[in-house]
Amino acid sequence: MTTVHSSSWGERKLPPYILMLFPAVAFMVVMYLWPFITSVAQSFFLSSGSDKSFTLANYVKVWELYRKDIVFTFGVTLFNTALVGVVAVVFSVYFRLRQNRVSALLSAIFKLPIFIPFVVVSQMMNSFLAPHGLLNTALAQLGLVDLQRPLQLFNFAGLSFGFAWKQIPFAVLIIHGGFQMIDNSYIEAARSIGAKLPSVIVRVLVPMNKSSIIVALVLVYSQIIGTFTLPYMLIGGKTPTTITVDIAHRVNYFRDFGVANALGVCSYILVLATAVYYLRSKVKEARQEVSR
Amino acid sequence: MNKIWKKSLELALLVIVFLVVIGPMLSLFLWSVAQKWYWPSPLPQTYSLDYWAQALGLKTSLAIGAVSIVGAFSLSLMIAVATVVIAMLIAIPAGYALAKYKIPFGTILLFLFLLPNAFPQQPVFVNILQTFTRIGLSGTVPGVMLIHILVGLVYGVWITNATFRSIPPSLEEAARSVGATGFQAFYKIALPLAAPGLFSSAVFVFLTSLDEFTGTFFIGLPFINTLPLTLYSSSGYNMQFASVIALLLLIPSVVFMLLIQKVLKAEYVGGMG
Repeated sequence: MTTVHSSSWGERKLPPYILMLFPAVAFMVVMYLWPFITSVAQSFFLSSGSDKSFTLANYVKVWELYRKDIVFTFGVTLFNTALVGVVAVVFSVYFRLRQNRVSALLSAIFKLPIFIPFVVVSQMMNSFLAPHGLLNTALAQLGLVDLQRPLQLFNFAGLSFGFAWKQIPFAVLIIHGGFQMIDNSYIEAARSIGAKLPSVIVRVLVPMNKSSIIVALVLVYSQIIGTFTLPYMLIGGKTPTTITVDIAHRVNYFRDFGVANALGVCSYILVLATAVYYLRSKVKEARQEVSR
Repeated sequence: MNKIWKKSLELALLVIVFLVVIGPMLSLFLWSVAQKWYWPSPLPQTYSLDYWAQALGLKTSLAIGAVSIVGAFSLSLMIAVATVVIAMLIAIPAGYALAKYKIPFGTILLFLFLLPNAFPQQPVFVNILQTFTRIGLSGTVPGVMLIHILVGLVYGVWITNATFRSIPPSLEEAARSVGATGFQAFYKIALPLAAPGLFSSAVFVFLTSLDEFTGTFFIGLPFINTLPLTLYSSSGYNMQFASVIALLLLIPSVVFMLLIQKVLKAEYVGGMG
């Protein structure tokens, strides 16, 4: 046995895929994996001074200065994930059950926010939600807002509006795709035994479409935690702000990579559960495709 | 009566949703053509295309924050084209190999290309900045290109991989059986069949580069001003200018994405910009 193997080793050519994969894998290891690992490792060392020993000082500083921002980030993310989940399911159901000209027009308009990059969304929200922006003046025309005391939206509320504006259509795209897989006969069967619309949604449609709803929520959740543009352009350095903005401040004003990395690790921890779920489901999906 | 009530409720809800989706876009558009818009007027007092002309370098301006964006635009375009060429040259063979060969440790490789979507990327950019500062790449065009290639490569590998997976292996096997080499089978059979998917993938990588903000913010500033960074720096001073730039970024994104949306999985498009 062993002799056969060792002799064939000497003659065997390198499999062709090694050469094909090498550039991409090498690039990813150098430009992604290594910085990813160092971002965790560096958080345990001070970035300035000669003391290069293991320390938790960066995390102490994060706790002292930024614990409110971590709570804020988590709060914004949880709130928006829940909001996006509920609203996206309602709209997906609407698009699934009602096919007329109005819903067709609406679903076309719903595509736009998905394709608009975050940096443009940020500028949009920056002008739209400003104290003297279009939203406030329009609401004032309707008599809903006193322009002397306009709605202040460069905070949790405005950030949530921006995230919801961008992410609800994205979630609808995924969730509606799942609803379209459900055969009409299930809905008709439930209806025929007297189920009202809300119970058709809760008892039939949502349970049958659980997996795509979870996928949408996992993606929305981890994207909100990691988004820098929108909070940076909307809230900036005001407190409370998000972890991503704090990281930028730490790096730009203090060149303090230690605390920046500790904040980064905090954002890794916030997405840990969704990251594990995402990676596991993707690997499972790939295995199924291979075995097919 | 009840039915009419329901119908009008549905219509009212639709109007509200319509306004909420369109409102921010309308705000952007109005600002880009507003010559004078003094508070508390609900609409601009005078309209003109002046700011478009100034931004596109057709007219010079002395207004604060007004710079011609022709430079930033061509820089962004140049970086995006280079990013597409390099990222696709790396991504196509990798996507093909992952689709056609049974690779040992394939799961680990898959993980490598999935990680950037599972975790926030900003801390990675911060650490690349540290390394790039040491080796003199921060604040340079090649440094920014490397970041854009990183962002685009992941999507490039996924989309090309899915494209090659959809081509039945029997076609290439048939070519091999009549004497074609592996490369010939790839070049003559798989590549033409995959062309639409590869093209969409290239367009997508192009857009991710054109719209990339976070990585460029850390690696490029203050020397490399791509279009998104120019948008950011003018948004504090000059609403009209920022709106013009935002629309210039918005139009290609929406147009191209509508063209290639059928080829793309929903989850790719969520993380842009």
